[in-house]
Amino acid sequence: MDIRKQVPDIKGVLGMNNGGQIKSGRHKPFLTNSRKEAITAYLCLIPAFLGLSMISYIPTLSAFVLSLFKWNGMTSPEFIGFDNYKEMFTIDIYFTDSLKATLVYAFLAVIGSMIYSLFIAILLNMNIPARPLWRSIFFVPYMLPAIGVYTTWRWLYELNYGLFNHINRMLGLPPVKYLESPKNVLPSLALIAVWCAGNLIVIFLAGLQNVPGVYQEAAEIDGANSWQRFWYITIPYMSPIIFYNLLMALIINLQVVTPALAITNGGPQNASMFMSYLIYRYAFTKYKIGYAAAYAAIFFVLVGIFTAILFATSKYWLFYEEEGGK
Amino acid sequence: MEGSVNNTYTIKSSFFKSKQRREKIVNGIAFVFVVIFAAAVLLPLWWIIRSSLMSNGVLYSYPPSFIPYEWMVSNYSKTLETFKYWTYFKNTFTIIIPAVTFGTITAIFCGYAFARLRFKGKKLIFTLCVGTILLPGMVTLIPLYIFWTKIVGLGGTYWPLILPFLTGGGFFNIYLIRQFMTTVPKEIDESAEIDGASRMCILWSILVPNIKPAITVVILMLFIQLWNDLLQQLIYINDMNKITFAIALTNFTGSFGTKWNLAMAATCMVIAPGIIIYLIGQKSFVEGIVLTGIKT
Repeated sequence: MDIRKQVPDIKGVLGMNNGGQIKSGRHKPFLTNSRKEAITAYLCLIPAFLGLSMISYIPTLSAFVLSLFKWNGMTSPEFIGFDNYKEMFTIDIYFTDSLKATLVYAFLAVIGSMIYSLFIAILLNMNIPARPLWRSIFFVPYMLPAIGVYTTWRWLYELNYGLFNHINRMLGLPPVKYLESPKNVLPSLALIAVWCAGNLIVIFLAGLQNVPGVYQEAAEIDGANSWQRFWYITIPYMSPIIFYNLLMALIINLQVVTPALAITNGGPQNASMFMSYLIYRYAFTKYKIGYAAAYAAIFFVLVGIFTAILFATSKYWLFYEEEGGK
Repeated sequence: MEGSVNNTYTIKSSFFKSKQRREKIVNGIAFVFVVIFAAAVLLPLWWIIRSSLMSNGVLYSYPPSFIPYEWMVSNYSKTLETFKYWTYFKNTFTIIIPAVTFGTITAIFCGYAFARLRFKGKKLIFTLCVGTILLPGMVTLIPLYIFWTKIVGLGGTYWPLILPFLTGGGFFNIYLIRQFMTTVPKEIDESAEIDGASRMCILWSILVPNIKPAITVVILMLFIQLWNDLLQQLIYINDMNKITFAIALTNFTGSFGTKWNLAMAATCMVIAPGIIIYLIGQKSFVEGIVLTGIKT
């Protein structure tokens, strides 16, 4: 990277608040302050910028390239055009299952954790005793390693002796196959994601505490009831934070893989065959690298579509305060 | 402001009294809900602790007891016979400590460049960096695996798990640091510069101490990211002596499928470091996250 020749002569503009380091003699030194500044900046950015392109952009492109090859990771790759995609859409029995599992899980986990965390945040925002204590408690599950969480919940969901089926038995209900039935497995796994959403609660709570009381009071004087105040003042004011949490929850939950790795192995009857897990399976247990890359490319498009929808619709419901917005 | 409140108060004192009462009731109901939900959140944790201290016979009896009447601490020593806790502990933190350190330092440098320095192409680089948030890690998994194992030849070492953190562990962390740094008044930098401080000196001795909450959150986020990972570790680690908590626990609970008390003892031990770190840094973690919620 030749930085020096790229930096134009902008000293006049940028040099305004140079801390007087240029003792302006007749010869302008080569390393002017703004050049030094730029060089420092590039040096600061090099590791991350190189790294981000090395671990994000280039691999993403490579995944698309790889998807056009047939390769087992050992022999030399063979170019086969779009055959991987053809196979995926026509022959592959897992494709629709994985699409369904990913979307249903993401939908349940995102909606569930958003509603739960907003609800808890609203409760915590009320005038209740020992608020920091409760806030810390709700945050605890977020601090647990995913694998610990899934072993814990596997035991809670256990068919005969798990906590939930003990409770069912006490209530006189038949035991429920939480993880063993294809119908229940995704809601059961999504509930785990909801339980872990402590970070969302804390962020929502911070947002709620930032809603200026003035608007609430004004609306109250105008006769708005608490539901109206919540819907017409709190929610619009919170919309940037809701958007942020929604985006993060969506991206994370679409990429779900750990529950399948740790508990279900994609079962029962492929009901939890998440697309990420399928990518892992094809690449690292069946050594169909090119084929797995084709899945990865489709997965990229899938995540892209959802993110794009979220951004495109955001202008209809996202409100930023006019002044003082950062 | 106060005057107007007093004014309304005298006019509508009865209205306010009933309002106060209603508020009290609403807050009371909210408190009850909070307690119930908090209990529900903690119940799974209590359940695994209590399960880890029971014999299998008691564990499988009905009705279930909420508190073990015989505390079988021996479950833990029995677990440790096959579950090499301290090896896994060492392995896990051999990855976590350098990764978190690298990640935090690079995030600080980048955040500083974006917040304070002027250079050509800043907007473009910034946009490119933001874009990486939207690139799913699952897509890059296979090409990266090929890169680390076939091209660089680091297969079987921890480096493929550590080196990616030289990027600040994702753009979110860089962004966070940038946001916090922009709130530190620029005049502080400028006066230090006049006093002859170098840029690095300003960064490390003025800016960094001023954005401690953000740095705490970045450290926490990096820690959690590594702490939660199973997939990457599964792919890159294939030596049984090098496995981490995540892999070890998956193997252990898989092989001891029916001995739930031992499986739960192992689970408790695995989640313990995270809980301990949380208890120590609880206040600054939560407050840091609160601040990030406001500033992003």
